[in-house]
Amino acid sequence: MVLTRKYKDLGTNLESLYKDIKNELQQDKDLTISSEMNGSVNGVPFKTLTAVRATAPRALTGTLREVTVTLAGVSDDWLLEVHTGAWFGNMILPGAGGFLIAGPIGAAAGAGTTMVLAREYGRKLKNKIKELIKKNSGKQYAESKIETFID
Amino acid sequence: MLSNMPFIRRYKDLNTDLPSLYKDIVKELQNEKELNISNELKGDVNKVPFMSVTASRKSIPKLVTGTLREVTVTITGEKNDYLVEMHTGAWFSNLAMPYLGATILVGPLAGLALAGATGLYAGQYGRKLKGTIKGLVKKHSKGTYSDEKVETFAE
Repeated sequence: MVLTRKYKDLGTNLESLYKDIKNELQQDKDLTISSEMNGSVNGVPFKTLTAVRATAPRALTGTLREVTVTLAGVSDDWLLEVHTGAWFGNMILPGAGGFLIAGPIGAAAGAGTTMVLAREYGRKLKNKIKELIKKNSGKQYAESKIETFID
Repeated sequence: MLSNMPFIRRYKDLNTDLPSLYKDIVKELQNEKELNISNELKGDVNKVPFMSVTASRKSIPKLVTGTLREVTVTITGEKNDYLVEMHTGAWFSNLAMPYLGATILVGPLAGLALAGATGLYAGQYGRKLKGTIKGLVKKHSKGTYSDEKVETFAE
């Protein structure tokens, strides 16, 4: 899942927002921060952070493998990208509630009630980031200041 | 499609040495100077052997849109029935307009997408790695490689 949003005229403190997002990812016991980059791309401030699953999961299909959050731009014109990756995500048969794989490898996709699903995690994180943007913005949050890009 | 494109193949009856295949894939990722191995997981999932390696870009790119951010290769199964998944991720891939060769970024953000001749593109890298993995599967398999032993899953 990739969510890309452009925010304008919010007066956002991107440094604080980034720190809060990092803190949020660090609180998840299944994740470890594996990569961080802070700098600029062609003069545009750029921060990115990747957290990966620290241990082999109990079930594979759809389990959260990594999450990357990227912020780029300036306080009144910036982009947020949230990517969540899952193992073997395209082997799920939506609507059928089952899996495409059978035989010995079918078990790898099997039950694991405590697994962190990428889609579920992505939805939760998206809402948390929305709260953090409001917290770290000096101007009023409004839907008219946001543009969402989808694949 | 520029990124977030998982490529999954199931291989049957190839009698493949999976630990050796995995080692060669790790070596291939280590040979790419822009990448660092950032995570490796080995073990089993519900008693099915599982190996996964993630390599991430080492440094901030000269341009962002479509540039390779990370690659993950996962092998799970047994020598005569296994899956290989390859994921390549890119930053802001859904801001690119593939048919126009342009991006929809304007104003101060436009610099993110400016040309950089040395960019390592996710799509390009993924195609190359897919070919390399095919070669490595053949190298480490005792069974004869044929298309009917391979099934590809795509979104």
